[in-house]
Amino acid sequence: MSDDESDPAGREAALLADMKALRRRTRTARHAYWFPLVLFGLLTCASVPFYVLPGPPAGGTGTVPGPPLPILGGFAGVTAQRSLGYYWLAALFGGLLLTLLWYRWNARRVGLATPARGYLVTTAVLTVLALVVPPLSQVRSPGWLSWLRHLDVLWPGDLVLRGTFPFVIIAAGLWVLAWAERSRALTVIAAVYTATALLASLYNIENVLFRLGWNPSGSDLSLTSLPNVLLPALVLLATGAGAFAVQRPHRARP
Amino acid sequence: MSPADDLPPEQPEPPGPEQPEPPGPEHPTNGLDETVHQRHRLGILTITDEAQRAEFGYLREALGLTPGNLSKHLTVLEQAGMVEVEKGYAGRRPRTWVRITSQGRAALAAELATLTELLRRHTPARDA
Repeated sequence: MSDDESDPAGREAALLADMKALRRRTRTARHAYWFPLVLFGLLTCASVPFYVLPGPPAGGTGTVPGPPLPILGGFAGVTAQRSLGYYWLAALFGGLLLTLLWYRWNARRVGLATPARGYLVTTAVLTVLALVVPPLSQVRSPGWLSWLRHLDVLWPGDLVLRGTFPFVIIAAGLWVLAWAERSRALTVIAAVYTATALLASLYNIENVLFRLGWNPSGSDLSLTSLPNVLLPALVLLATGAGAFAVQRPHRARP
Repeated sequence: MSPADDLPPEQPEPPGPEQPEPPGPEHPTNGLDETVHQRHRLGILTITDEAQRAEFGYLREALGLTPGNLSKHLTVLEQAGMVEVEKGYAGRRPRTWVRITSQGRAALAAELATLTELLRRHTPARDA
């Protein structure tokens, strides 16, 4: 009789410990979230030219046209370039497509699939809502479409002022991805990024830099929105690089 | 009078701390499912519970099984409705994916709860 057979408590404890270790190894091998972090960090960096503030309209007194895609692009022509909303529309859907392909490829390579569909659906639905809520809530119809004006409640308020609402959409997606990945580390990353996205959406981070000695003048004035973009990008790139470093040794099969 | 009549009537022996508790209707061993309790099948359910689906090759390497052995265990679990086996191709390479069902998830949870309860019962007896 082996020790295990003579010691049922030891046998059960060993079995439970084995299953716990197996679950931990599987989870570690499955984690692949460094890619969306780095990808959306790079997409945020690529958006920087759209946040360079435009100069005054030619002639000085021209009216600023209404913002296209206001939830995704902010106050176009005032706090961001007019094409910012279009950039984020393409970047969010392009990023989602690449993330979907990444998770499929990683599943084939490692032999374990992550249920990333919830992440993709959440981010896609929020992006579509950001796209359709402004025009639909403007519909003033006395007929059966009159309920559309109630879509006003979905308007995210001051979060859209600086053209940084796409960061909030990315943050919401990260929470769902953390749940799918069952990762405490990604949950912490999602919390930090959410705080950064809200800060960038509600506060001029330039003020902090001003206190630290950055005093933009002349042509630099057009760059004062950039800290609000670069800080969230930095969070994504730094945490994505850290996750890559941690997940890299575990990418081989057991 | 038979010799047995001279013996005092049998008294039930009080269970001492060293005596293993006999399995009764409420004993946790009754909650063990033979299909799940086997170590490798428990491993298959644990891995597939952690991922959306797991590939045959990953299961084989993680559990240290031969392909034939793993196939046998998968057949048992599939016939019990605890996993679903999907066959497909990645390019020209055939791939077999294993997905846990809700029944398998429930059985795994019950098994782990039973093992935990058994461990809880045995640990004080061993320490006494």
